[in-house]
Amino acid sequence: MMKNDTMVEVSNLHKVFGEDLHVLRGIDLEVKKGEVVVILGPSGSGKSTLLRCINFLEEPTAGTIRVGDITIGAGKKTKEHNAKILEIRRRVGMCFQSFNLFPHMTALENIIEGPVTVLGQSKKEAIPYAEELLAWVGLTDKRDEYPSRLSGGQQQRVAIARSLAMKPDVMLFDEPTSALDPELVKEVVDVMERLAAEGMTIIAVTHEMHFARDVADRVLIMDGGVWVESGPPEEIFTNPKEARSRQFLAHILTNHD
Amino acid sequence: MNETISKGAPGIPPEALAVLKETADAKRRFRRNNALALFTLLMMLFGFLYMLGLDFAFMARWFGFIMAGMGYTLLVSFLAISLACILSVIGALGRLSRNPIANSVATAYVSFIRGTPLLVQVYMWYLALPQIGKSLEEMGVHGAQAWFTLPAIAAGVLALGVCYGAYMTETVRAGIESIGIGQREAAKALGMTDSQMMRRIIFPQALRVIIPPISNEFIAMIKDSSLVSLMGVWELSYRAIKVGRRYFQSLEMLILAALIYWVLCIILQTVQEHIEARMAKGDRGVNG
Repeated sequence: MMKNDTMVEVSNLHKVFGEDLHVLRGIDLEVKKGEVVVILGPSGSGKSTLLRCINFLEEPTAGTIRVGDITIGAGKKTKEHNAKILEIRRRVGMCFQSFNLFPHMTALENIIEGPVTVLGQSKKEAIPYAEELLAWVGLTDKRDEYPSRLSGGQQQRVAIARSLAMKPDVMLFDEPTSALDPELVKEVVDVMERLAAEGMTIIAVTHEMHFARDVADRVLIMDGGVWVESGPPEEIFTNPKEARSRQFLAHILTNHD
Repeated sequence: MNETISKGAPGIPPEALAVLKETADAKRRFRRNNALALFTLLMMLFGFLYMLGLDFAFMARWFGFIMAGMGYTLLVSFLAISLACILSVIGALGRLSRNPIANSVATAYVSFIRGTPLLVQVYMWYLALPQIGKSLEEMGVHGAQAWFTLPAIAAGVLALGVCYGAYMTETVRAGIESIGIGQREAAKALGMTDSQMMRRIIFPQALRVIIPPISNEFIAMIKDSSLVSLMGVWELSYRAIKVGRRYFQSLEMLILAALIYWVLCIILQTVQEHIEARMAKGDRGVNG
């Protein structure tokens, strides 16, 4: 039966691109409610693909995904399957490396777009919460600006607010700071940190070492589509067991700190 | 020491202002000379026509009569472009569809229409369709002949609309495809259905891309609307040709008709430039 404190459960997930590009090779992952998980790994290891499989931006080739009480197995695209995917996406927020704000909408319009179009709220209902979120990410004064007038860090904070407007159970972060200038990284990480402090369940692919070390409850290292190692950050960073983890961590720590 | 660094320059230095002024002057000079050259060219053209002995009084006399055909020209163009817009959106969705029937119907439509002359298509709607109606009638479909025998204006609107719809299908499709994958993913990640994504995210952005080429099509259509004269609609060029033939002064009448079309297109082009300028002002940003 369903374990009631597990928010996300990924079992035996495989993803094959084309005919033989086997990116994920039987991944298992369980994330508890309120847990903050950071996934590390060399580029091309499958981290992003795993995230994108959780909300079905990529269709898994085999395995099952469970979010809350919705379980979807890989397989035929029946009507029921598609409906479940929409339901999962409504409960899972996602932030992208390239922000992907809607350029034809102001910051506020971006944020209310989900509640209005997907959840069927009226603008009147959606706006107060959107304004609250804008204040929460510190961008009240950018309410009516278009994305092209915002810095990368501001865009990413609006994108986070846009996801939060759906009141998601889980937030996925796919390298949210990789496209940012160094001086803008902190403002985004700060928002993620506050989100974690408020008890949001977070799965993040990020090379932001401060977030991994000080905010995450658990760090997982992926390589070649399988887990190499997982554990609490202090353990992974001070005393990695696997040679591949040591090698990878040595590499990113010298480059990022 | 400190002062020399922090003072900097409070304004633009005079030598920089001189450069800015020179640039602005050069621009103004170019615009003026350009207008001058254009004016001279026009004068030379009229002078040449005058030397040929063009009967300007004759042109002035028939100007009103020919302009009366403008209504048909605009009516046909407007109805046809509306039809073309609808068809092009449906066509583009078909071309992008993974449904084999929708996709092949749209592909065949574009291929057939683009592969045949508009002139032939106009006659198809006007002359060949009634024959199909007659055959259907004989096969027992009641009223087919009456339905398939179109008045000239309707045939013209259908011919132009269906034809331009096919060309514009490709424009609309390209516009939709130009919207980055990130926009689709962001829409999907919010839980939007495909049609919500299309309506709210993709199409509004694609519209900004496709409005300039679509206005070009509209301008082209104004001119192609002269093809309805083939079916005896008393529009602009039909009137010009009729009068020209009757008085053996075709040169005058054709030049007059050409000038009217030209002015009409210049007006439309100005409108198009205004629309584009306004859309460029609304923050477009980059597709992320």
